[in-house]
Amino acid sequence: MIIDVNTYIGSWAFRRIKHNDAAGLSKFLKEAGIDKAVVSCVNSILYKDTQEGNLQLMEEIMGYEDYFIPFAIINPRYPGWKKDFIYCIEILGMKGLELYPYYHDYNLTDDFAVELIDLAADMKVPVHLPCAVENLRQRHWLDTTENLSIDAVERVLAICKTADFIITNGPTDVYANRLKSVSASRSGRVYYDFARVDVFNPGFESLVEAAGVDNVVFGSVAPFQYVDTQLVKLHYAKLDDDDKEKIGHKNLENLLGL
Amino acid sequence: MKEIEQKMNLFKDNTVVNWHEHVWFDENGKLDIAHCERLVEAAHRTYTDTLVCSLPIMGGHPTHEDVVKCNDTLYEAMKRYPGIMKGMAFINPGYIRESLDEIDRCVNELGMIGVKLYNHYYISDPIVRDLIEKCIELDIPILEHAGKLNFMPESQPFISDGTHFAKVAKEYPEATIIHAHIGGGGDWQWCLKAIADCPNIYTDTSGSVCDEGLIEQVVDAMGAERILFGTDGSYSPGVGKMLGANIPEDDKIEILNNKKFERYLERGL
Repeated sequence: MIIDVNTYIGSWAFRRIKHNDAAGLSKFLKEAGIDKAVVSCVNSILYKDTQEGNLQLMEEIMGYEDYFIPFAIINPRYPGWKKDFIYCIEILGMKGLELYPYYHDYNLTDDFAVELIDLAADMKVPVHLPCAVENLRQRHWLDTTENLSIDAVERVLAICKTADFIITNGPTDVYANRLKSVSASRSGRVYYDFARVDVFNPGFESLVEAAGVDNVVFGSVAPFQYVDTQLVKLHYAKLDDDDKEKIGHKNLENLLGL
Repeated sequence: MKEIEQKMNLFKDNTVVNWHEHVWFDENGKLDIAHCERLVEAAHRTYTDTLVCSLPIMGGHPTHEDVVKCNDTLYEAMKRYPGIMKGMAFINPGYIRESLDEIDRCVNELGMIGVKLYNHYYISDPIVRDLIEKCIELDIPILEHAGKLNFMPESQPFISDGTHFAKVAKEYPEATIIHAHIGGGGDWQWCLKAIADCPNIYTDTSGSVCDEGLIEQVVDAMGAERILFGTDGSYSPGVGKMLGANIPEDDKIEILNNKKFERYLERGL
């Protein structure tokens, strides 16, 4: 069984994305062998008001509630963020928070961001931090030139000690090694995917060693990227079947209480 | 995971030639054996029959002596892994006369089967002309590092993008030129648009970019017969995008072992 921690519905301004509605994405993922998926609305990244995307997501996945696990994208710089976030979790039943400081022009350690992350921890939902949406080198000339800042993540982990984080779609082997020390000093967990780490390079083993196999999860970035690229990594990972089960679904089930 | 095992029959049941890989120096300036071992292990585990490798210097302006050392070190790797590793000679076109001699040495003495150019000059730069003519004379392909960088283009000021390839394709229609790693980072749609109608420009599938639709669009624009399988340091993504691509199986088989390039493999070490 595989649960995917990082998928999107919605349109991307800079490139045509196929399989990007609930019906198309669920079909695409199921055909690839994905049994459940965390999903957010990519439109929220570029909408001024992220809540429009969150509401769009919930409308879109109606009828697919057993398959998709919705996460809310919130911009804590925008007025009304607290009300929106509470509404997403308490009323809409969304299961996590997703942040894009490099699109929404703030730092994770800004007071309002810390307040939001602490609120997520109080509400027992994890904070998903994708390192990027698309690879930096290929971005449209109007796209952001920033990625997630590892320095900012390190600082916010030290400040928000009880929040659970999921870091995806970036050099997570580097992240896991750099954040190992600060992670040990906090009660919240830090999870990593391996979307940008090659299983045939030392990076994958380094990631698993630094993070611990209980803190590695599966993320595909579908429908932006091929799912098989990630399934191949899990297939060829030099891990026993129990550890592959943890990475494939059990770690995320534990985190999300599935 | 059983599904991936089944899908890997595509690789298991067909000849697989990886046209874009590298060996490297270790910290002491010797062949990085540990890297080679990992590369060959990855090839064996994914049923890859042939690894076509080079050892380029990616920054600065390598001297002719640097270039010779790269190719000698690559030759050491080719001898270490006979039957699976083939070589492409790294050349800095800035040393025109020495480059032509080095191509002769690498092909005729060391058994290499092509030329690898990096980002020291645009492939359409007039300084590269003699070198292209030499490759035509020897009937060997040129693999040129490529990409359209929308971000930090100053990091590689002379990297060739698709428009440079299109220009040289018209000047030398008889040359066989591979636009490296269509998924190697950069605006691949830009490059694809530029080279789509240049019949003697090929591309390889390597690179860490695994955008859904990448392989499909390249096949649609160029045809499978102008595409080569490659990984360039991203082995599992390279394999995964071939498995995930929604194209006919025959096209995948053609990409995994491009028939037009078979004759090069029959030569050399």
